[in-house]
This record gives sequence, structure tokens and C-alpha cells, in this order.
Amino acid sequence: MSNEHFTEPEVNENQNVSPLDDFDNAETVSAAPKSDNSILDFDDDPLSATSVSKKSLVIFFLIDTSGSMKGKKMGELNTVMEELIPEIRRVGEADTEVKVAVLTFSTEVRWMYSNPIPIEDFEWARLRASGVTSMGAAFKELNHRMSRNSFLNSPSLSFAPVIFLMTDGYPSDDYKEGLRELQTNSWYKFGLKAALGIGQEANDNILAEFTGSKDTVVHAYSGGQLAQMIKIIAVTSSQIGSKSMTLSDDTGHEIGEEDVFAAKQKLLGQQIQELVSTKTDGDDVPFDTGW
Amino acid sequence: MFNGFSHSVMGASHEKTGLVCQDSSAFKIGDHYAIAVVADGHGSKKHFRSHLGSKFAVEAAIEAIDRFYEDREALEANLPTNHKLIIKNIEKQIISNWNFRVEKHLAENPVTDEEKSKFTPEEFEDILPESYYGSTLVAAVSGSNYTFGVQIGDGSLVALFEDGKAIMPMEYNESAPANVTASVCNSNAATLFSSFYAPNRKLIALYGSTDGLYTSFGSEHDFLDYHTIITSQLVNLETFKNVIINNLSKRSHFGTEDDISLSCIFNEALLKDRIDLLNKRVEENKKAAAARRAAMLEKKV
Repeated sequence: MSNEHFTEPEVNENQNVSPLDDFDNAETVSAAPKSDNSILDFDDDPLSATSVSKKSLVIFFLIDTSGSMKGKKMGELNTVMEELIPEIRRVGEADTEVKVAVLTFSTEVRWMYSNPIPIEDFEWARLRASGVTSMGAAFKELNHRMSRNSFLNSPSLSFAPVIFLMTDGYPSDDYKEGLRELQTNSWYKFGLKAALGIGQEANDNILAEFTGSKDTVVHAYSGGQLAQMIKIIAVTSSQIGSKSMTLSDDTGHEIGEEDVFAAKQKLLGQQIQELVSTKTDGDDVPFDTGW
Repeated sequence: MFNGFSHSVMGASHEKTGLVCQDSSAFKIGDHYAIAVVADGHGSKKHFRSHLGSKFAVEAAIEAIDRFYEDREALEANLPTNHKLIIKNIEKQIISNWNFRVEKHLAENPVTDEEKSKFTPEEFEDILPESYYGSTLVAAVSGSNYTFGVQIGDGSLVALFEDGKAIMPMEYNESAPANVTASVCNSNAATLFSSFYAPNRKLIALYGSTDGLYTSFGSEHDFLDYHTIITSQLVNLETFKNVIINNLSKRSHFGTEDDISLSCIFNEALLKDRIDLLNKRVEENKKAAAARRAAMLEKKV
């Protein structure tokens, strides 16, 4: 005697729901897509203990914390980043799970947290500035962590990450060697890259080497501009990064993933340049005169 | 001795694009063995009959495994020493059975003008006929004190042996091309399988799932914990089945919107015997998840 059972697929409709399944509760529905899969509730439906994960987007911030950032620059940056988190959280309320990873580099490179943190749980730790600018070491560390075996190990699918570099000076180590290593990383190749130079000393050419295009490099010469630019880049790149772009063109022909990523990077450059050109400089005091 | 269930739900993204469910799933309870099978049709443009391909893959796997069990005593006597060869032969037989079904279906149902209309004549010429039906496959078998499984393409196998710990036993075939979904439709399909063989271990439960389930989790820990929780509830399968089905639907809906299939076989007597252990594991997993979360939120600067 044997029993063979084939399953007819069931169409996913919400009407057909058991009262035991509390995903149907409106409150739980809104909570379910939260990125944190450790929000545990073993008391009701046992299966809701492991929450549902959506497609995720990791935003990597690479932040120069060398001595030259000391004072107003670092103070302003800390304030802007604290204000920015709720704004990025709103991007995450669509159907993407946004996570944040912050890598600081001065004499040493250091992650703010040991893993990318869901935006709902992310709290900014105020940074202090001291030491030299080990940008090359930061690129190497990013290359090491931007991997399926490390920071990008979530089973839920990942969009290509956003990588946002902020610096005010010239690297004190061999940044080219670090960049060469990073450039072999597929997540870097397909990621959305943007950079912000802070003050007069930041070298836009180096930043363009990092992003691959001058369009995605902007410069801030004052505290007001710094706040504007960080918000423009972070919010725009998370919006574009979390957008599902079609893998077929208008004629229905399938196009490669590389084309999709190239299109996203181009769109980011265009939008950043448009937004930057509409912002006025304001009348706040430049970083390099008196701050 | 064994019992089981299987279920496939259609993903929200397929509803939106008007595709039918590309997954198929089944389980079989034999006299002294049980089989769990899932298959995920590729669903992209050139695999326009992959919903049938996944059904054929599931049927092909059960037929192939059943054939090896026609002389169960000989099979079980040979497994300990010749499991590699036996599993390899099962894989070849699955591909052969699948190709037979595809050829038969295509002969009886030639490609229609409507199916061709999605391609230029040159594009259509470039597609191999078996590609129309492309699918992945995950199949696993358990007997009295051994378990083995085969897999081609994406998908997951989770086993809970008598210690009540959920593990992924598959040893992945490193020669399978990275970043390319291996398929039963590949011309070298029989060489692209991954497999595992676990002797001298009693199985509590074994699960095969398509990748829509795995990708609905934020971490592998959660994915494994999910199977432990399900196993702890299998003693009430008839009432719990609906909870599982609804949860799969919700995972598809709020997760990556893919089709999801889950097939399970379990040893009823051992499950009852180890139910306290399983409930203990569920509690341990809950504590470990809380500890992981606390560690994740610790600032390092």
C-alpha cells in the first residue's frame, strides 16, 4: 500500500485565511514586512515567530573621521546623519527592507555596528575625528564585507547596494590599491555609488574614480550645503536603489542585469545634478574660512 | 510509520503578470520509505511551458525513486557501500523520465502560434525544445535509518534527525555553474545534481522547498527555526496544515512575491517520542534569536 499526493498549486488570495493566522490582523500585516526578522512572538500563530523578509537594500556610508574633520564638519555631519535616518526610514516603508552599514576611516577603519542594521532599529552613534585618512584600507574592508559570506548574507534577495563616500581630504594611504581590489567586487560594480567632498581640500577627481562618474560627485563648502548634499544623495540613491527596474525593454526583449544597473547609476547622476542645481548656496559660513 | 504533506502557492508577482504557478510539489508514503519533492519552473520568457516542466519533474522523480524501491531489500543492502553510484543512477533516471514526458507532451501538443508570437523567428529557432519546460528539482527520500536527497538548481532541503536540530544536509556540487540556475532542461543535467546521503540516523522530519520560501527569510537561522516550529506542530497535522498553507501564502505575499512550495515527510512514531525535545529546541531557538538581535544592535564605535 502506498499513497502518492500531488499538490495542485493554490492561488495566493487573502480571503482564504485561517483565524489561526494572525498575519491577517491589520496591525500585524503592517508589522510583518519589517526588516527585523528577530521580532519574535511565539505566543500566537507559532509560525509568525519567524517574520517575513522583503527584498533588501543595504546603504553603505563610508565616512572620513580623520583629524581634519574635527570641529564643525564632524559636528554638522553627526547632526545631519541623525536627522537623515527618519527620512531614509520612509523610503523603507515601501516594499523594500532598507539596512544601513557605516564604515568610518581615519588611522583605523571601523564599522559602527558589526552588521548592516535594519533602518527601523538603526541609531546613529556620534562620531569623533582624529588621525589620518586611510581611505585605501576602507576600500579593502568594504570589499571584504560586501559579500554573500559576510554582510550580504541574508537569504532574502538584495538589491545592488548604495555606497556613499564622504571625505574632506586627500587619502594618506595607497587608495588606488584599495580601489583596485574593490573594483573586482560585483556588488561594487553593480552598486549605486556617490561621493561627497567636504571643504576645499577634498579631491573631486579621486571621488570620481570611486564613483566611476563626475555626475555622482558633489561638493559641500559649508554646513548648510553639507546637510543638503547628504540628504539629496542618501535619499535619492535609496529611492533609485530600491526601485525594481524591468529586465525587458519596450519591445519585450529581455535585457541584461548589467544594463539595469548602468541605467540606475545614470539616473542617479542625472537626479543628483538636477537637485544640486536647484539648491541655493545659502549664506552660511564656508568650512574653510573661520570654522 | 511515515506521514506527510505538500503544498504550492502562487506568488503575487505571477498573479500580476498573468503567469500561472510555476511550482509543483508532491509527497509519497511508501511501505517502508517516503519521498518529498518540489520543483520550480523557471517562468521566464523562453521557458513558456515551465509550469508543466515542474510537474513533469516531480512525477519523474517519484517514478525513478519508486523503481529503485521495487527491490527494496537489495537497494537497502547496497546503499551503505554504493550510495554514490545508486544516487547517480537515480539522478540519471529522473532526467530520462523527465525528457520522456517532455517529448511526449510536445509531440501531442506542438508549440502554438500564440506561444511563438512572443519571439522573432530567429529567437525561437535558438531555443532548445526542452528549454520550454525548464525547471529545478529537489527530491528527498527516507527509509528506516537512512535519508538521501538530490537537487538540481535552486531550492532547499532541511532535515531534523533524532537530535531535533534542523540542518541543511545537502552537499552542494561545486561544479554546478555559479550564478546560473541549473535545470533539468540542461543538456548535461545529470551532471549538475547535488546530493547527500545520511546513513545510520533516524529521521524525524524532512522538508523540500522551492527558493521562494528561503528568500522570504532575513537569516538562515530564521529559516531553520521555521522548520523546527513546524515539526513541533506536526503531531496535530490535520489542524495545523491550514496554518502552514496560510503562512506560505503570506510569505509569498509579503516576501519576494515568488511561488512557494513546501513538501514534508515525517516519522510519526519518532515525532511523538521526541515532541518534548522539539518543544525544547523551539524555546532554545527563541532565546538564541533574541541573543543574536541584542548582539546585532551593539554599537562598535
